[in-house]
Amino acid sequence: MCGGIFFLTFLVKSMKEPKTAADLRGGSALESNLLSRENDAVVITHEDIDRAHDREQVSASRARRGLRPRLRLFWLLIGPGILVMLGENDGPSMLSYAATGARFGIGFFIPFVILTFLMACVVQEMTVRLGAATHRGHAELIFDRFGPFWGWFSMIDLMVGNFLTLVTEFIAIRAGLGFFGVRPVVAVSSALLVLAVALMTHRYWTWERIILSAAMFNLVFVPVALLAHPDWSAVGRAVLTWKPLPGGLTQDTVLILLANIGATVTPWMLFFQQSAIADKGLTTHDIRMGRVDTVLGAFLAAVAAVATMLATAPLFLHHMAAANFEAAEFAQALRPFIGYWGAALFALGMFEAGMVAAITISTSSAYAFGEVARRPHSLNLPFRQGQSFYLVLLIEAVAAASLVLIPGIPLVYIVLVVNVIAVLAMPPALLFLYMLVNDREIMGELVSPLWANVLALGVVTVLIAAGLLFGISVVAPNALALIGGK
Amino acid sequence: MAEISDSAAGDGVSREEFTSVMTALEPDQIVSAKEHHHCPRRDLTGREKVVFWALRIYLIFMVGVVVYQIWTGVR
Repeated sequence: MCGGIFFLTFLVKSMKEPKTAADLRGGSALESNLLSRENDAVVITHEDIDRAHDREQVSASRARRGLRPRLRLFWLLIGPGILVMLGENDGPSMLSYAATGARFGIGFFIPFVILTFLMACVVQEMTVRLGAATHRGHAELIFDRFGPFWGWFSMIDLMVGNFLTLVTEFIAIRAGLGFFGVRPVVAVSSALLVLAVALMTHRYWTWERIILSAAMFNLVFVPVALLAHPDWSAVGRAVLTWKPLPGGLTQDTVLILLANIGATVTPWMLFFQQSAIADKGLTTHDIRMGRVDTVLGAFLAAVAAVATMLATAPLFLHHMAAANFEAAEFAQALRPFIGYWGAALFALGMFEAGMVAAITISTSSAYAFGEVARRPHSLNLPFRQGQSFYLVLLIEAVAAASLVLIPGIPLVYIVLVVNVIAVLAMPPALLFLYMLVNDREIMGELVSPLWANVLALGVVTVLIAAGLLFGISVVAPNALALIGGK
Repeated sequence: MAEISDSAAGDGVSREEFTSVMTALEPDQIVSAKEHHHCPRRDLTGREKVVFWALRIYLIFMVGVVVYQIWTGVR
């Protein structure tokens, strides 16, 4: 059965269900178009069969009452939201949080990072609705609705950003395993092997569960933070007062500010979550659970992020600055305060952050490529049918991994600019999302309500303001004094 | 009820799988249906084009700022 594409023709008329997405959202142009062509021949693929199998389990759980079926439904539907949020707690993000804790201690950045995760929830909720309503990926919708001119712009943004980010993931992998004395070439090759093995399942559901399990290791930063014995009253004061901000608003502070925003909201997240929702087969009935999934993911990721800052706060208290990201210096610098096992957990966390993100980010590139090139794009595809999908994924990962191994490449600069570039690329990406999610022709009644639009525009405003602040700090650092900086 | 052609059934899709796909997936979730029917293109208004271009120029300018920062940092 798993050999190739199996064909079956049938009448679209017979596919009508008592309550379809079109019924629920008042019928979109896209769906009307589909339903009106009742005599078109439709082909069933292996991908359809796998997805249908997953959906049957969801329907069976939904049909039953009681706590157990509810929990089962929750288990079946969670995934894309948690994966995207914990995936974004990636190598450069964890390094940003670690640098923040070491540079600023417990203060302004604790509530600030929590705020950035709230911003991420606002943005990602839109992709949940868009994916569930259209069953299509983000890149595909941009190309279809806005044409190839704007579609290619968004693809170039995504591909450049993803490749640079992937490089940093392998830097984190190398640094994390480097703490244990693993040679760079062995560390990077092992990571590529893990990535390839996860793909061999050829099943979205299995792949998602494997990566979810791995992503949970992101919470390894929590015990590391506890080993650092943080001052909880200082944490409480920081959350309530957003203070202190040692050194005030300087060029350095602005860079960290931008890096922390870029650590939570980035373009690849939009593309990944929407495509994953389409691949998982979520429908409009699942939007509420999709939101729960997203908020839960943001909560877990925020806990890990804050824990990382708390873990490195002792470096601030003892005036030790870790600046060399290449040599797992954070873990080594923390060893006197949290012991060998604490430092080892920290290094393991860095490896995990890079590993999970390398998988999710390369997958988002492969989804986007398949959607734009009109090639099969699903983790449910056997290798022969999804060759281009899997090859794009693997080639991008191998290219990024190889770059990390070239001696003399300025890896530190790549790490520093990746999150900044992510913040700068976010407003154009958000504009596409904003317009799509307010497009009544494809969303029907599921267009964004006023409150969601206000929040989304608020996020865009914050991102543009942060970008401009960064520009001012670089081009005219003295101008920061005009807005209360130094 | 849907019709299953003999040739298609012979390709290896069982009646159970066919029924499963028919009942579990929504019409626009079927891969081939998505391939054949894409979202119609929409025309951008003048104001939308201005915003699109403004953000594009913003991005290009800011990437220039990042490159400048790296250049000064390396120096």
